[in-house]
Amino acid sequence: MTTFVIRRLLWTIPVLLLVILFTFLMMRQIKGNPFRKTDRAVPAAIQANLDRKFHLDEPWYVQYADYVKGVFSLDLGPSLVLRNQSVNDIVKSHFPVSLELGAYAFLFAIVAGVPLGMLAALRANKLSDYLAMLVANVGFAVPSFLVATLLIYYFAVKWNVGLPTSGWRSWDSKILPSIALGFFPMAYFARLVRGTMLETLQQDYVRTAKAKGLRRRRVVGLHVLRNSLIPVATAAGPLLGAVITGSFIIETIFAIPGIGRYYVSSVSARDYSVTMGLTILYAVIVIVGNLVVDILYGFLDPRTREART
Amino acid sequence: MPLLEVRGLRTYFATREGDVKAVDDVSFSVERGRTLGIVGESGCGKSVTALSIMGLIPKPPARIVSGSIQFDGKELTQLREAELEKLRGRDIAMIFQDPMTSLNPTLTIGTQITETLRRHLGMSAREADRRAVELLEEVRIPRANERLKDYPHRYSGGMRQRVMIAIALSCNPKLLIADEPTTALDVTVQAGVLDLLEELREEHQMAMIVITHDMGVVAEAADDVVVMYAGQIVEQASSLELFDRPEHPYTEALLGALPSLEGERGREERLASIPGRPPDLLDPPAACLFAPRCPFAGLNDYCSVEAPELRELRPGHWVRSAHPASERAAVAV
Amino acid sequence: MVVNPQQEELRELVLTRTGGGVDAGAPIRQTSLWRDAWYRYRANRAAVIAGGLFLLLVVYVVFAPILSPYDPYAVDFSQAYQPISWSHPLGTDQYGRDLFTRTALGGRISIGIGFAATIAITGIGILYGSISGFVGGRLDNGMMRFLDALYGLPYLPFAIIVTQLFQTVNFWVMVIALTIASWFTAARVVRGQIISLKENDYVRAARAVGARWYRILGRHLLPNTLGVLIVFVFLELPGVILGEAFLSFIGLGINPPKASWGSLAQDGRDVYLAHPTMILIPSVAIAWLILCAFFIADGLRDALDPRTRET
Repeated sequence: MTTFVIRRLLWTIPVLLLVILFTFLMMRQIKGNPFRKTDRAVPAAIQANLDRKFHLDEPWYVQYADYVKGVFSLDLGPSLVLRNQSVNDIVKSHFPVSLELGAYAFLFAIVAGVPLGMLAALRANKLSDYLAMLVANVGFAVPSFLVATLLIYYFAVKWNVGLPTSGWRSWDSKILPSIALGFFPMAYFARLVRGTMLETLQQDYVRTAKAKGLRRRRVVGLHVLRNSLIPVATAAGPLLGAVITGSFIIETIFAIPGIGRYYVSSVSARDYSVTMGLTILYAVIVIVGNLVVDILYGFLDPRTREART
Repeated sequence: MPLLEVRGLRTYFATREGDVKAVDDVSFSVERGRTLGIVGESGCGKSVTALSIMGLIPKPPARIVSGSIQFDGKELTQLREAELEKLRGRDIAMIFQDPMTSLNPTLTIGTQITETLRRHLGMSAREADRRAVELLEEVRIPRANERLKDYPHRYSGGMRQRVMIAIALSCNPKLLIADEPTTALDVTVQAGVLDLLEELREEHQMAMIVITHDMGVVAEAADDVVVMYAGQIVEQASSLELFDRPEHPYTEALLGALPSLEGERGREERLASIPGRPPDLLDPPAACLFAPRCPFAGLNDYCSVEAPELRELRPGHWVRSAHPASERAAVAV
Repeated sequence: MVVNPQQEELRELVLTRTGGGVDAGAPIRQTSLWRDAWYRYRANRAAVIAGGLFLLLVVYVVFAPILSPYDPYAVDFSQAYQPISWSHPLGTDQYGRDLFTRTALGGRISIGIGFAATIAITGIGILYGSISGFVGGRLDNGMMRFLDALYGLPYLPFAIIVTQLFQTVNFWVMVIALTIASWFTAARVVRGQIISLKENDYVRAARAVGARWYRILGRHLLPNTLGVLIVFVFLELPGVILGEAFLSFIGLGINPPKASWGSLAQDGRDVYLAHPTMILIPSVAIAWLILCAFFIADGLRDALDPRTRET
């Protein structure tokens, strides 16, 4: 089992390198040499200085190697626009916010979505099923900016519940954005859980469990649930990654100081090193999410444990 | 009083086009300590009968329309789900056809045995584990102690079926229903499982119902036999009687379909199969359901017009046919 | 859905011999299997309704701008924020432009990007997947590892980066960006299909007869992946459309005054507190499309491969 984990971990390194290479090449295409292409006219002397500082006059592979070194020593370089901040600084002060937002959103998604899916599966084809799936399907199809704006419109404006709609300080300011961000994954989980549970309920071993006279609680709670949740767990990893990397919409609407918002503004401002650094950060998150899921899967499904060794 | 008495059981499945009459007026009884074989081809209703007894038919589309199922003095059709749950696994146990899928792949074998023990007999974890090891030994699983912690995928098909048997016997049920217990197994393993079942049955003094489509299994295991076709009973007799003097054309055909190694037929001839297919249970004709495939139908025209009743041809031997074997010989062609 | 040449032959034989309504000896068209699928699809009520609603939407986005008397770009502040009425079925925006017309126009762009990108994704997927699946061995291994690496690229940020390669972001830039950021699943799906189909007997038979690889691929393997790919198109469409919507919403995609559902939402972004309908309308359009696509995909999946039916 540990060998499996280690091997999986080792695989992430070439993956990461490849990702860095990709982003780097793309960024090079874009920037070429940003200081020559931007609209700001920069005096020649300062230009030369910047070139040297950012290694912009060296051949690309040197820049790349430099950058990789930087990444692995956790130095993502300075911001090209915000003169007194490095990308690291930005990450340090704003990533925890996005992480927290993503975590709460995800928590909401699980707490609301899984029971919804279970309810739908256990009362399949009855009214509660249709209602639950109505909610789930709507949540699935409706873009998150609508969910966010509707939440703000009704809770904060129309009904004046007193929930703050911007910032990320007091605990109540975290409620609406977390729900807004978590709405889509909630719908996703609800649909997924319903599907897997329905399938599991058809399995022979569930019939065996019933034939043994086990109480319904146990049949559903143990036999059915454990098997149904395996595919859900596998979907959860990439989903968490998607949630965190897609949080910029919510952050923009709710004025939350997370890296998502910084990402967007760095692109508009052509602050390429921030963009690049944050993209790589995002990639790391996605890779980690996938990795966690792979490992988790090994734990949950005993059949795969042996197959891996 | 028989341990189990089924009378006039009708189980229908509601579909968009109407009711499918999966079990239509079935009656039989099982005495303590004896084995009843229910035999018939796929779709004849034998499994549904067993599931109806256990109360395991899927309630939305299926329902018991009428009939009574008396088990040990209790009327099962009147019991609430909670009471049926107490009965299942404890007084009536059931094992199923496919051992590969009948066990939960994410729980250990030990858990799947002990959960029944703890649920019905209130054993502690340690007691249950000990008893589980004993049970595995009873069904001849080697190194039972270590294997308790294994997952089902580590067991072969034959071993899994033995585990199913062990689980079924764990609370000393009065009746064991075995639905096609050997169908999914290799021929060589089949004999072993049947032997084991018989041995344990005697030891535990259980009654048993064996459901199968294989006459060989019936010959091996059953004391009494019920032959089913298209949801109805077409012949009922003791096993010896049935094999010695089969009456219903269908039974004869089933027996004729057995491959034989010696005798006049030898290995040269093709297996005699029964031409045609069973009727649509959605809207069965009000005539003999076997008539379309019966080699004797049409000798008098009643077969495609009137449904024959189940009648007692000889003491203990019931037949539902207008042309049972003993009456045919009398008619000169 | 598996088109088995032997099965087709057998069908022909049976039908011609029993004279099943066809002149003896006349060849039966291959369409019989597709017609079966069509019947199965029709039996699925949700899928049929979804299909109808989808077509309705398409008709709307195609014809409304043509038939509309309004200029979708003309600014007329006196007409700003008109409520829903017969002359303005969806009201007007803050610039006085008719939203019914603009939403349809935006639909053309959004749906257009959606289909173009999805088709491109499928095309690349077919190329990559069939090479990988068909050749197998180490090439397959390598190609799959490469693909695994690409999965580490976050979808939206990557699409954003690609858009920045170009001077401005327009229709085709969006298509390219969204395609590049999400072609991986298509490749996986195609490869999976090819691999499972490769082992079929009729493929072996074809090989034994000496059929060249392109014939096997073109005549046997790819047509049988068609069913899965059609379903895939409808499953992938929502993701692409949402991608466009999100990017345009935050200003990194199609920008106003050009209309796409995302840019319309962007228009509404600053005024939603007072006029929420401006975000509501394009969102409903998006949701409409996504829901239709899903039910259609479900129906198609059941129609083309009834074995996967969920009870």
